Amino acid sequence: MQNILTKIGRAALAILAYIGEVAQLAMESFLSIFSMHVRWRLVMRHIVEIGARSQIVVIVTGAFTGAVFSAQLYFQLQRLGMASTVGSVTAVAMFRELGPALAGLMVAGRVGASIAAEIGTMKVTEQVDALRSIGVHPVDYLVVPRVAAMMISMPLLVAECCAFSVLSANYVALKVLGIAEAGYMRNLIFYVDLFDIYKALIKGFVFGLIIVFVACREGLRTENGAAGVGRAPTEAVVISSLAILAVNFILTFALNIIFPAS
Amino acid sequence: MIETREITKSFGNKAVLRGVSLSVQNGETLVVLGRSGCGKSVILKHLIGLIKPDSGEVFVDGEPVTGLAERELTSVRRKIGMLFQSAALFDSMSVEENLAFPLQEQGIRDLKVINERVAEALEMVDLPGEQKKAPSDLSGGMRKRVGLARTIIGKPRCILYDEPTTGLDPITSDSINHLIRRLQRRLGVTSIVVTHDMKTAFHCADRVAFLHEGRVHFFGTPDEMRASKDTEIMNFIEGHSGDTDT
Repeated sequence: MQNILTKIGRAALAILAYIGEVAQLAMESFLSIFSMHVRWRLVMRHIVEIGARSQIVVIVTGAFTGAVFSAQLYFQLQRLGMASTVGSVTAVAMFRELGPALAGLMVAGRVGASIAAEIGTMKVTEQVDALRSIGVHPVDYLVVPRVAAMMISMPLLVAECCAFSVLSANYVALKVLGIAEAGYMRNLIFYVDLFDIYKALIKGFVFGLIIVFVACREGLRTENGAAGVGRAPTEAVVISSLAILAVNFILTFALNIIFPAS
Repeated sequence: MIETREITKSFGNKAVLRGVSLSVQNGETLVVLGRSGCGKSVILKHLIGLIKPDSGEVFVDGEPVTGLAERELTSVRRKIGMLFQSAALFDSMSVEENLAFPLQEQGIRDLKVINERVAEALEMVDLPGEQKKAPSDLSGGMRKRVGLARTIIGKPRCILYDEPTTGLDPITSDSINHLIRRLQRRLGVTSIVVTHDMKTAFHCADRVAFLHEGRVHFFGTPDEMRASKDTEIMNFIEGHSGDTDT
């Protein structure tokens, strides 16, 4: 029994230490941003890498999720005579939960892994030490431009994911399943409000920060050569994905207090 | 100019440095010798604050640097350039961009000045006209030379060389040895060279420090080292492990 408690205690301490490290990295990055140490040329380059090149992934994910969600809802709700609510339920679910979470998970897989691998390779090949030896703070050069790019890109990616999910849901519901357009659109407009869009964008912003800080932390902590470089992206994706799911739960309640569901 | 006082450093349970005291005078070349894994590179990284000692002090120009935060070390690091064992070229940049980077970080924005300084640095390391190449297109010796060019382009007063000839063929190693000596004369810089290559040591050194079991076992001139009757030093110079074939 004591053994189990010791193990649980150690695991809890390890999680707290990890959160502390990520929080310290976040603090250093924001201090750097507020001290105007931002390299805008690098920010633009990372916006292309993080934002522009992730569009296909989040659009396809959003579109197919919206389409499938719409079809599944129709199969259930048409038996109750509520087929006209398919669009509003899909839209609310996508804006409030699925859009940000799915976009977050996809970006964690694509961008988080790439950031951890790139910085990790620089760490084990002494390029990070070379930066420091030149007098360049690694947070200023490697972390801050990615954080700024993520803060700009992620809400836009979530918006795209949600928009394409609603468009595809509309197409499936109206063109494929033949739901009457008037009732469908009336419910969609009635049940989806501006707060739902705020919630999606705020969640996307927070998830973006989780992805970028976890990935940068994993990259900067990479050790043991090729084995370490192989491990860093995996850890970055797993940890940021789990963190997104956990933080999504907390944010759902917190945002419902700020923006109560109508 | 640079001094370490009784620095100790452990990694996990392994004590790598057990009280290393060294001093390097302006303009001299100190070669730090020792077996692989004895902590030679760790000493170099202490000198520019890449590693913090567990105890002891590092002084640059009489100022303690051990307690300085990362951002406070910038002025120290601009005085001291370091050539890394792997050259540590930024592989996302061309040769030209690698060399221009330290200048841009010093606030130099004039492209003409940057181009001139890049060309001058490449000429000093015998690689004129190689600006447009990518680091992946360079041989091991060329990478070290470009790394050295990047180190000297900021005009540091001291250059740290971490295993400058490791992994190079004897001819290229000899050419790097001459380059180190030539730069030392031409730029008048203080140099600290970490190596286990005796040829480099005897070619470049004004003084030699021999590390053994985490301490400075010998400190003197190359001639004094050659004349030493100490078993550890004699075995190291002659490359005797004491092992037998049977």
